[in-house]
Amino acid sequence: MTQAWSKLEQSAARLSALHLRELIDTDQRFESLSFRHEGMLIDLSRQRIDTQVMNELLDLAQERQLPSAIKALLEGEHVNNTEDRAALHSALRLPKSAQLPLDGQEVVHDVHKTLDRMEQFVNQIHQGQWRGYTGKPISDVVNIGVGGSDLGPLMVCEATNQFRPEASLNIGLHFVSSMDGSQLSNLLLELDSETTLFVLSSKSFGTIDTLANAATAVDWLQERSGLNRELLIKQHFIGVTAAPEKAVAWGLSEETLLEFWEWTGGRYSLWSAIGLPIAISIGMQGFRDLLAGAHSMDQHFEKAEFANNLPVLLALIGIWNINFQDIHAHAILPYDGRLAHLPAYLEQLEMESNGKSVGIDGSSIAHRTCPILWGEIGPNAQHAFYQLLHQGTERVMCDFIVPARRYVDRESSLQDQHQLALANCLAQARVLALGDAALNDGIDRPTWQRYFGNQPSTVLMLDELTPYNLGSLIALYEHKVYVQAVIWGINPFDQWGVELGKKVANDLITALNNSTDHQYDPATEGLLREIQNVRGNSQ
Amino acid sequence: MKISVWGHELSAWIARAQLAAYGNDIYHAVADNEPIESHLRSEPGLLTSIQAAEFNQRLIIDPHKALESDVHWIAMESNDFDEAKTLVKRLAESNNRLLLINQSNFGVGASDELQSMLDESKGQYVIYFPDVLQAGQAMQQFANPQALLIGSEHEAATELMLSLLRPFHLGQRAIQRMTRREAEFVKYAITGILALRLGYINEMAGLCDQLGIDIDAIRRGMTTDVRIGSHYLQPGSGFGGQQFTQYLEGLSTLLSEQKGSVFVDTLLQQNEVNKEWPFRTLWQHYQCDLSDKTFAIWGVAFKPGVADVETSPALRVIDALLAQGAKLQIHDPEALQTLAARYPGNQQIQLMTHNYDACQGANGLLVLTAWPEYASPDFHRIASQLENPLIIDGRNLYDPNRVQSAGITYYCMGRSCLTNA
Repeated sequence: MTQAWSKLEQSAARLSALHLRELIDTDQRFESLSFRHEGMLIDLSRQRIDTQVMNELLDLAQERQLPSAIKALLEGEHVNNTEDRAALHSALRLPKSAQLPLDGQEVVHDVHKTLDRMEQFVNQIHQGQWRGYTGKPISDVVNIGVGGSDLGPLMVCEATNQFRPEASLNIGLHFVSSMDGSQLSNLLLELDSETTLFVLSSKSFGTIDTLANAATAVDWLQERSGLNRELLIKQHFIGVTAAPEKAVAWGLSEETLLEFWEWTGGRYSLWSAIGLPIAISIGMQGFRDLLAGAHSMDQHFEKAEFANNLPVLLALIGIWNINFQDIHAHAILPYDGRLAHLPAYLEQLEMESNGKSVGIDGSSIAHRTCPILWGEIGPNAQHAFYQLLHQGTERVMCDFIVPARRYVDRESSLQDQHQLALANCLAQARVLALGDAALNDGIDRPTWQRYFGNQPSTVLMLDELTPYNLGSLIALYEHKVYVQAVIWGINPFDQWGVELGKKVANDLITALNNSTDHQYDPATEGLLREIQNVRGNSQ
Repeated sequence: MKISVWGHELSAWIARAQLAAYGNDIYHAVADNEPIESHLRSEPGLLTSIQAAEFNQRLIIDPHKALESDVHWIAMESNDFDEAKTLVKRLAESNNRLLLINQSNFGVGASDELQSMLDESKGQYVIYFPDVLQAGQAMQQFANPQALLIGSEHEAATELMLSLLRPFHLGQRAIQRMTRREAEFVKYAITGILALRLGYINEMAGLCDQLGIDIDAIRRGMTTDVRIGSHYLQPGSGFGGQQFTQYLEGLSTLLSEQKGSVFVDTLLQQNEVNKEWPFRTLWQHYQCDLSDKTFAIWGVAFKPGVADVETSPALRVIDALLAQGAKLQIHDPEALQTLAARYPGNQQIQLMTHNYDACQGANGLLVLTAWPEYASPDFHRIASQLENPLIIDGRNLYDPNRVQSAGITYYCMGRSCLTNA
């Protein structure tokens, strides 16, 4: 183990006997452990750390050569070593005036060319001039995509709904992802085929889940209209992909195709044309605000010294909790219903990125990496799994995410509701940290009413939830994930762990369609037999 | 009599012209002694009357003297209510008797609000006189009203009003007296039922297309019932007109605010859909691709006899075609100037002086306004000039057999049983 790592282990032992409430109750605790970038504050004062730990964590970052790793990421080096390519989501939010050559080719120009084409599409839809096969304007947009082509746009659209311009209010937005057609089958009963536009999003254009949904959508249009496939796809589909030749082979025309690039990872792609549903929802200006907020975080990440660098600090706190406090569960708890889909989004971002046990050099690694992440809107989770946080046996670290200001131009009763959410957010962070001591009333309670506390948490407070601040927040987590990967020595940009299942599923489709001679394991064989029996009985 | 006329609505200019023509001295505070808007200038008979009044010194621009008259005729735009209140406040300062004839669409209750600013004990009264003039026939309708609707709460005011208008009704026309609020609302109710008839006949036309029967036969059959009559029953690709639309939107707002009803709103929304019927027909005819095609358009005014394109159904069609990258060759007897002002420097639009020239080399002709000069064209000439012999008739002007015998593919509303298209 490295020097900084050993020192952190010693610090963990040094602090092990201290309760978090004793750590909190020190001078200048909040001032020295809360950090701000523009409209965002992160408060680390409820973490089980002191100044020495913080310094040792910063030493660890230096020892792991984080400065050069950040440079490598932002400048487009092939940080994704197993796929030999860059991970340049930050380039998607560079301003038009910037320059960034990648493998000898300028990327900013292409990025803005695509943004301009998105703008044309969005304007056409907003002005009611994108026409369906009968000539009526589009009234509903259905995003067909899964994983990164679904979670990011869905999360941002929900979070920024109040920022929709007048022109977008008449457009219904829908998201369809599930392979089994559950969402699509319901939707197709409600929608009008004459006025529905599908956005078909797939980086590889080979995702079976997405193509299966798209095939159902095409069938539906053909059945309703009696028109040919080519014409319907031209008027009713926009494709978003990094594999345009496959999209064209499927039937999309180049005129309705938006491209992004191999160097954009799926779970990092909402900033690209994958974000089209966002732009349709909040307008191109709103989408550009989102990009600007993320770009501002990129610059902060690049330039701020580590001691004040929000993504770096958030990552280091995670490292401390996972590797030195032995905590392997991480709850994401937004105290704002608009962020309902943020936990699912971060589950993918963090667990698909850092759920690895092989180092960047191919060797297996000895320490723990990404914990289990899950979450729910905080106030709702209070009625669900907070019991475990307060009195269970698992140690859990929590991120509370909350805007300070909301409903400024709405009814006072709504402002009261936000006040209520804020109070609950502060109360839960306080009780998790202090336990019984939060009440401080001297009453002696039976054991089942006791709260041990000592659960660390971070409060991320936005001045308000705007597209700009949301852009910053997402970029914060993206960079946090990268910093942790650097410290752990893993590649956060591949996902080989999801491949094998797809292959085996393809194989099993033939087994389900007709009996093969192929022999599977007894468990699978048993289920296959049961399925054949049930199907046989119903015929 | 000395009368001051305020505002720029069509009804203000008609009042100036006709009241001056019958010997009154008209004062006003406008910048120019003639209307500037081209749709008002082209109102039949208006401009010559105004010029005659000016020549005879019966129409005088004098903002100070205009405030001193005893009779004030107010026909302002609907969003100028604040301006009207400022005016009435100044007028109220005088100790004179006053008669204010309000003809503006300020909403139900606006005239009562103006009355509350005046002093009834000094004989200062407001009358609401609904504007029932139709653009294109306004001069004649003012001069020869079929009936007079007067919203007044004071007999003395009513008598003064009637004596003022005596040259026009000669004591021989029906006079309906009611409260100011009732008179204000009558105008909304009239507009609503006219729009309902148009919306209804369009729905019937769409249904006739599906059932394979001729809407024109149905319409003729309906009009034999005296309870129904024949007006406002011609199917067409949407209705428009600034004043008509304003009153309808006002009625729709009243209905939704007062009783949560979407009755008229639904009608208005369906009208927006109907306005695009010619575009949708063309779109389907050309299988969803109109880019780089050229189309002739006959008529852009919202109805024949006017130069007004504001709220004209033709605009929706033009915008839709431009957005698809089509080129347009447009003819209209009166409204080309106002249209040009809406699309300054647009390279896709060419304005044509002669209607047949608009057809030259075009991939189809769209007829959007029922101008009389379009009623009986030489279809063989049209067919020879069009690149693709195709007519989309948004006003059901033609006999399908005549058009088709010239080898033209013909689309119209509610008569698909008579067309091969």
